[in-house]
Amino acid sequence: MKNGHKKSSIVLFFASILIISTALPASAHRAIIFAWVEGDTVFTESKFSGGRRAINAEVLVLDREGKQLLEGRTNDKGEFSFKIPKLTDLRIVVTAGTGHQGEWTIPESEIREAGAVLEKKRTDEPSQPVALGLGKEEIKDLVDDSLDRKLRPIVRMMTESQSKGPSVNEIVGGIGYIFGLMGVALYFKSRGKKRRSEN
Amino acid sequence: MHISEGVLSASVLVAGVAMAAAGVSVGLKKMDYERIPQVAVLSSAFFVASLIHVPIGPSNAHLILNGINGLLLGWLCFPSILVALALQALLFQFGGITVLGINTVNMALPGLICYYLFSRLVNREKGPISLAAAFACGLLAVFLSGVLVALSLLFTEESFMSVAKLIVLAHVPVMIIEGIITLFCVAFLKRVKPELLGGIHEKRS
Repeated sequence: MKNGHKKSSIVLFFASILIISTALPASAHRAIIFAWVEGDTVFTESKFSGGRRAINAEVLVLDREGKQLLEGRTNDKGEFSFKIPKLTDLRIVVTAGTGHQGEWTIPESEIREAGAVLEKKRTDEPSQPVALGLGKEEIKDLVDDSLDRKLRPIVRMMTESQSKGPSVNEIVGGIGYIFGLMGVALYFKSRGKKRRSEN
Repeated sequence: MHISEGVLSASVLVAGVAMAAAGVSVGLKKMDYERIPQVAVLSSAFFVASLIHVPIGPSNAHLILNGINGLLLGWLCFPSILVALALQALLFQFGGITVLGINTVNMALPGLICYYLFSRLVNREKGPISLAAAFACGLLAVFLSGVLVALSLLFTEESFMSVAKLIVLAHVPVMIIEGIITLFCVAFLKRVKPELLGGIHEKRS
């Protein structure tokens, strides 16, 4: 009876640790960088997985071959932006110090699209101001421009959801794995034990 | 204190893997049938601890629980922490697979050191001395982990002292909290299940 009491209190003890930990805001060490193209500029936002911004962190921009194109530091909102340096896949790496590093890749296609819009704008400029009778292309550019602007909050929201910590599923799943491994270890050890006692 | 993928040079990674492999193999050899569930429970405690964010202080620090792992498990804390770190890397993207070795060493080695320093005091002494040793064990394990992380970054970051200072200072609140947690765990286990406190290892030797 007393023994059972002890056992249940141990179970309670660990159960309460688990419950407390899942109830607390999930957060830990992981640097995340998120980047998007707007016009001819690439905007990046860096943060830790808890949502805290990575301030004054080093940002490297690399091309497909890993050659460094430019570097910079994030401002006090964790943001860093730069003009597109080259038509290639851009690998953007943030190094937040004490061993934390995050990465984001913008594929070439996305940059090419933004670049095409740009080229057109440059050639269009002399014909400003645009009056009546907008051409198909011009309307498309205008829509693209305003879409870029309007979509910005949504892009931001996606960053936020990207930086959310692990879900309860993953936490419980991980604990499940550990106990599964325990079962495997017990199984093999118990077989060894039996064999030894048989001999 | 998880070091991310792609930060460290290959030689540090290889050294980490070698040391972790040595520690894990010793740990597995010492793992008796009776102790497997205990290792699993402490492994899951370590696994979940990284989610408990300590909002005090300048940095993004979380609980580690390597002190209590080391104190209760001794060498067995190597396999326990390896499993937990592997799952953290796979499920939470904390750390990573290539840095698993060095991260394991950074977390488990301080636990082991604290086991040799404090387990005798915690087990044999009574009352305040034992509890003080438990507190010191939880605190020192985190401190040593910070120093080890700074050491492994020695070849990538500019200076050892500034990185070490940064990490250790950021973890001061964590150290104190871990000390208190270890103290309460020891007090609790002494009352309820004293044989869990490393008694098995002591008896045999």
